[in-house]
Amino acid sequence: MEALLRAETLTKRYGSVTALDEVSFEVGATITGLLGPNGAGKSTAIKLFLGLTEPTSGRAEVLGQAAGHDEQVRARLGYMPEHDCLPSSVSAAEFLSHMAETSGLPPRHARVRAADTLRHVGLFEERYRPIGGYSTGMKQRVKLAQALVHDPVLVLLDEPTAGLDPSGREEMLALIRKTHREFGISLVMSSHLMGDVERTCERILVLENGRVLEEGETSTFTEASETIYIEVTERVPELIAALAERNVEAREDGSSLVVDNVSGEDYDRIRDALVAADAPLRRLAPRRRTLTELFQGEEPGTRAEEST
Amino acid sequence: MSESPSGRVFDLGFRRYEGAREGRRRATLAVYKDGIRTAMGLGRGGKAKILPWLFIAASAIPALIFALLAGAVDRIDEDISDAADLPTHADLYGVSGIVLFLFAAVVGPELFCPDRSNGTINLYLVRPLRATDYAFARWAALTTVMLVVAWIPQLVLFLGLVFGDTKPGAYLSDHWADIPRFLAAGAVIAVFVSTMTAVAAAYARRRAYAAAFLVGVLVISLAVIDGVTDSIDDGVGRWLALLSVRDIPLYVNDVIFGEETSGIAEAYELPDAILVGWFLLVVIAGGLTVLNRYRRLSL
Repeated sequence: MEALLRAETLTKRYGSVTALDEVSFEVGATITGLLGPNGAGKSTAIKLFLGLTEPTSGRAEVLGQAAGHDEQVRARLGYMPEHDCLPSSVSAAEFLSHMAETSGLPPRHARVRAADTLRHVGLFEERYRPIGGYSTGMKQRVKLAQALVHDPVLVLLDEPTAGLDPSGREEMLALIRKTHREFGISLVMSSHLMGDVERTCERILVLENGRVLEEGETSTFTEASETIYIEVTERVPELIAALAERNVEAREDGSSLVVDNVSGEDYDRIRDALVAADAPLRRLAPRRRTLTELFQGEEPGTRAEEST
Repeated sequence: MSESPSGRVFDLGFRRYEGAREGRRRATLAVYKDGIRTAMGLGRGGKAKILPWLFIAASAIPALIFALLAGAVDRIDEDISDAADLPTHADLYGVSGIVLFLFAAVVGPELFCPDRSNGTINLYLVRPLRATDYAFARWAALTTVMLVVAWIPQLVLFLGLVFGDTKPGAYLSDHWADIPRFLAAGAVIAVFVSTMTAVAAAYARRRAYAAAFLVGVLVISLAVIDGVTDSIDDGVGRWLALLSVRDIPLYVNDVIFGEETSGIAEAYELPDAILVGWFLLVVIAGGLTVLNRYRRLSL
């Protein structure tokens, strides 16, 4: 897999604060999630790759070039900032067309691309209204649209779901997936929400305190982190025994049983054990490891060294 | 319906873009074009258009008065008209220059401040242009608008003088040389006010701060310097006169027209080269200040 982004012992310090501490990783042609709590170094990493800030040491490469300097590379890069970045007095159509031109597209093409992109993000009908009157969800979609309008190879999204309600968040994540699936545009999205990253990204890179904590394919990642909650109204000891017979280790957690590190076949075994124990099932629910558990589960640094 | 079914399916979806990518030049041009549209309120709501046109109308009023005055005097007594020193192209910016300054101070910061306070600047900085290209394009856009705004009253005045004269043909052949002069003088004042505005707007967080600062500097420097030069009599006054911001382009205006009426009187004791050199120095220093501010912004 050809690396679109490459960090080599990349370090960024702001005064005495180390935002990124000698991290090395590569990002390929896929959807990659940069996962981590606030202050983990996600936005700093994105800004370094965009050339919005210079590294203290190490190297950030984008499409094979040192970040931020090559005009050709910048022309093929999209960026959706976390914070506000939209003018309020112009319409989305006017703004998008202008943004396409500032990416180097001739005006005639820029207008067509602006309309196409606004249709893609679902703002075609509203495109002549001033952006100032848009809802948060609509503004977020304009922000995504301006990152896509010039048909980039790679798009960096900084907290694309920030400030969105659950349905808005779903729509945004669906748009991100669709952008990759249908148009082959690679994306990197930062988020502090495990769920968002898990549902959207094919690879995950976990950052904490400026270091890479874990990285890998989302499938292996979630398999290792899946937990099942089983709630039965009675016959708990029998169920535990039946599970044990089938090599499924369960522990009691309040009124529920918890099975950690569940794999695909474990679902079948749990089903069989429930039948064998004749336990009246009330709830059977997978629960993914939360971000906090993820960070507390590992000694910071141990995994980071593996991955760097 | 007797029409045969001839429906076609159009793929209206998002497509890959295979066309030209014109890089930094197109990007800079786009920022310039957007700057002009912003300044004139094009592509914005109706309210955004009122202010620019109000200023253009206001700056044309003195020109109309000059023209009407000349036409009227000409009709009353041709000899007086030829002898009298009626206000003309050389005097226009002495009167309407303040309107141009206000126009730039009110409209100009709109080209710089909102992009920084809204965060739109980050979208520009990741695109194929440099921060200095952006700043230059914005400055050039403001200068272009100011050129037009500076030239309109001069044109109004010229047309008024030609057609208001009892012998338009004779007026034209006697005064054609005014055209390159007022074009040059317009360029001087346009470049000056847009550069000063760019300097203030490059540092001000909000448009209003930039506008207030510019108007403040203009009024205070004029009031203080004009007052002080009157009371100082030992040759220092002529140098102090250079510090009145409003008058810096007016001195060059008067060098172009060969008059000594628009600015503070003491300054004309200095040679023309100093008056022009001082103007160039202030403009170049201002331009470099803006570029430097934006160069550091990118890091």
